[in-house]
Amino acid sequence: MIHVENLTKHYEDLKLGRVMALDGLSFHAQPGQMYGLLGPNGAGKTTTLRILSTLLKPTGGSASINGYDVVDQSAEVRREIGFISASTAVYDRMTGWEMVEYFGRLHGIADDELRDRMERLFHRLKMNDTRDVLGAKMSTGMKQRVSIARAIIHDPPVLIFDEATAGLDVLVARALLGAVAELRDHGKCILFSTHIMREAEKLCDRIAIVHRGHLLAEGTLEELRRRHGEHDLEELFFRLITEHNAIRSPLAGTAIPAA
Amino acid sequence: MTFPNIKLILAREVRDQLRDRRTLFMIFVLPLLLYPLLGMGFFQVSQFMQEKPSRVIVVGAGEVDRFPRLFDGDEFASELFTFPDDQRLLDVTVAPNEPGAGEPGSLEMREAAWRAVESGRYDAALYFPSDFTQRLDAFREALRGRQPVVLLCEEGDTAALAAGELSLAVPSPEIIHNTASEKSDIAEMRLARVLRRWSERVGADNLAIGGLPPSAARPFALESADVAYETPHRGAARWSKILPMMLVLWAMTGAFYPAVDLCAGEKERGTLETLLCSPALRTEIVLGKLLTIMLFSAATALLNLLSLGLTGAVVLSQIEGFGAPPVLAVFWLGAALLPVAALFSALCLALAAFARSTKEGQYYLMPLMLVTMPLSVLPMAPGVELTLGNALIPITGVVLLLRSALEGHYWQTLQFAPPVIAVTFACCLLAIRWAVEQFNTEEVLFRESERFDLAAWLRRLVRQRQPTPTAAAAVVCGVLILLARFFLGAAVGPPRDLAGLVRSVAVTQVVVIAGPALLLALLVTSDRARTLLLRQPATWWTMPAAALLALMLHPAMNILQRVVVQLYPMSESVKDALGPVERVIADAPLGLLVLVIALLPAVCEELAFRGFMLSGFLRTGSKWRAIACTAVFFGLAHGVLQQSLIASLVGVVIGYIAVQSGSLLPAVVYHLMNNTLAVAGGRITPETLDRFPALAAVLSGGPGGYVFHWQVVLAGGFAAVLLLGWFARLCHPEWPEVELSGAVPRRLAQEG
Repeated sequence: MIHVENLTKHYEDLKLGRVMALDGLSFHAQPGQMYGLLGPNGAGKTTTLRILSTLLKPTGGSASINGYDVVDQSAEVRREIGFISASTAVYDRMTGWEMVEYFGRLHGIADDELRDRMERLFHRLKMNDTRDVLGAKMSTGMKQRVSIARAIIHDPPVLIFDEATAGLDVLVARALLGAVAELRDHGKCILFSTHIMREAEKLCDRIAIVHRGHLLAEGTLEELRRRHGEHDLEELFFRLITEHNAIRSPLAGTAIPAA
Repeated sequence: MTFPNIKLILAREVRDQLRDRRTLFMIFVLPLLLYPLLGMGFFQVSQFMQEKPSRVIVVGAGEVDRFPRLFDGDEFASELFTFPDDQRLLDVTVAPNEPGAGEPGSLEMREAAWRAVESGRYDAALYFPSDFTQRLDAFREALRGRQPVVLLCEEGDTAALAAGELSLAVPSPEIIHNTASEKSDIAEMRLARVLRRWSERVGADNLAIGGLPPSAARPFALESADVAYETPHRGAARWSKILPMMLVLWAMTGAFYPAVDLCAGEKERGTLETLLCSPALRTEIVLGKLLTIMLFSAATALLNLLSLGLTGAVVLSQIEGFGAPPVLAVFWLGAALLPVAALFSALCLALAAFARSTKEGQYYLMPLMLVTMPLSVLPMAPGVELTLGNALIPITGVVLLLRSALEGHYWQTLQFAPPVIAVTFACCLLAIRWAVEQFNTEEVLFRESERFDLAAWLRRLVRQRQPTPTAAAAVVCGVLILLARFFLGAAVGPPRDLAGLVRSVAVTQVVVIAGPALLLALLVTSDRARTLLLRQPATWWTMPAAALLALMLHPAMNILQRVVVQLYPMSESVKDALGPVERVIADAPLGLLVLVIALLPAVCEELAFRGFMLSGFLRTGSKWRAIACTAVFFGLAHGVLQQSLIASLVGVVIGYIAVQSGSLLPAVVYHLMNNTLAVAGGRITPETLDRFPALAAVLSGGPGGYVFHWQVVLAGGFAAVLLLGWFARLCHPEWPEVELSGAVPRRLAQEG
């Protein structure tokens, strides 16, 4: 479903010079699977997810979603995914209903079908209270629900969540995670990035630990525990990162001299 | 690209803008209130602008009043004013002839008046010398006696007098004023007007004394007739200057604010990313937003013009000769609205897409104004008319064309409409392309708000040198060259002799042009040979080919030069400035000239432009963009507009040669050949053609230089096309940096 092969991405930074955001990242995720990308800030999670949602272009390697290449068939890829991140906000001057309807139309859903789907979706996500409320007036929880509805209105097989619980209170975060788990149970392939161990432990079927653009470990939670002889995910995570930092000089990971 | 998506995005954006109170206020409320409020404000302010009387002191008046009267009580006589109301604008104090203050009109009195004006107690002083009345009396005496008399300004200047003529010193009253004070200047003007009237009256009396009728001094009465009077054209002429400029300015303002909100604002609010990961293509997003901005730009301009027109019709129609704007204006302004709105919308969209936040976006209004204002105000300058040259200037052409239409010169409008429309259309396309490109550039879309730290940037440039310079370094180099040229040119001035010319060219080329490029290459790059393209060309055949290309293109360039000068004639001041240089060049030995004007610039300018700057711009990933940017800087470095236009074109050709051959050497050869031909061409006279009949076969001497036969131009052009085709087929040299950053835009272009 999601295939990422040797993905690299570097960009020029004003101060640091050429920065390697991704350095040969590979992983695969299947339908009905919740795949977690676990990493500290600056690990390259957002860059990976932005490449998968065709917002950024990779410098090297390849990635495909449902068989469509993210560079060559970006329009098709966008029809196959629903993308939610901290930086995909809702429109301030649009009501919840209008916003979901707008994205449904952009996906080319016929009017009658769109109305049916929206009624069902608003009922399922319990968001009838956002129907006539402008984005600017919504609470964070309302906004999050509108974002989910916006991302799944076209019933995509793949959903990408980029640190979707960042900045949410416990109640809203819990509701969101519940909705995500429900989507997984409906057979969706879900790619979920986070730096919160609890979320990864609780939800993800497979976990990839990334740091400074490198894949440090990958597998089910059990596999990881067994392979590294460490039961606690947080300890495991910390150890892997410390080891990685020790191998590479502190400076080498971020800025590399231009070739 | 599908139309339904564009329509969807357009509808959403329009609704979004209509729900924004600020936009609504700017577009619908402000224009309706602005002009009536301005009108009311004008009447209020005009109370403060009432003319204030000038305080003047009259010194030494004595008995001047016994000629036709100058005073009426303690004011100047009312018959000395054209409008009776003006009488109160001079608050007159006649200095008493106090016994202690010296004789009336004595030099001490003048001194006192001087001080009174200097200290600001009076705005101006009118001083009558002590012998004023005596001199007038003496003159009148002579007139009565029918004696031939001549009035002299300087005493003793009697050499020009014929026999029997009497010479008398002319009576000279004096106005003492202070040009450093505006009030004093106005007082002087008012006093002078009164005295001119009085002098006419004294003159009329003198004529009567001499036995001549007063009309002897007014042999004819001049009248003026205005064909535009009482016709609608008169009002139209006034409006035709205001309305087009207002259209341009409001179309820009109306486009700017929505553009900033729709791009920078959405980036800030995080909704742009939401839209970018929807199935809508980038081109659809750009077009949807562009149409929205256009709609608001057109609406703002239209509402402002309507409101201005209505207010004008009510208020200004009461002012003599202004009248209501012609009704037909609505039609012409409507026709021009669409292209103007499209142009500004695309420009604003591209600028706003570049901005990270609304605040940053609003900073870009100033640079945009700086470019647009002169272009839209230029047509208001007296003497600027609709010519082919002006029609080709973006915005200026539109304003002038509109003006011509509003004034009812329909034939002229029709004649110049095609070039104006073509230029505006081309600019629109370029601006739209730029906007689309901005939306396809991830560095622009996902620019993080990093703080710019000049020191860190410079440190990194020097410490982590890359083989070739970045595009930013190329821009810095170009700006440095332009600044250095400007200041050197202003400080030194044009050379007056041959030594001065050699010195000036050498300093300009070596220090101002090659200097910054070499210094930057040394500081910020690690592979200087590659940066400056100092390597073997793809094949050595490129060297003679470049020389031949310059030779073959020369006739066409010669024609082009004439066309440019015809379109944009050089102003007299530029001609005066270039004159001495041209004279020095005309007298200099040819060998030296080739060395100084051809070889030196060929080496130095190529090192800077096709060396350092081209390598830098190539890093943007597009060879044509690199060639175009280099050519623009090359043109700007030539200073005079007419030379700049030609130099930019030459710059494109040389840039192409350098890129295709991968070396600076063929570029130097082309440049050398081009300049040598120009220097040699300057020496062709009719005599040269007589001496060398072979030359006469290809060209003939015309007014202001030589002209090639059209067959030669065509044949040369054809050969040049073949040669350029040969250059195009050259094995593309390695440009690693182009491939690297060029890959993404290329793929995106395929997607779009």
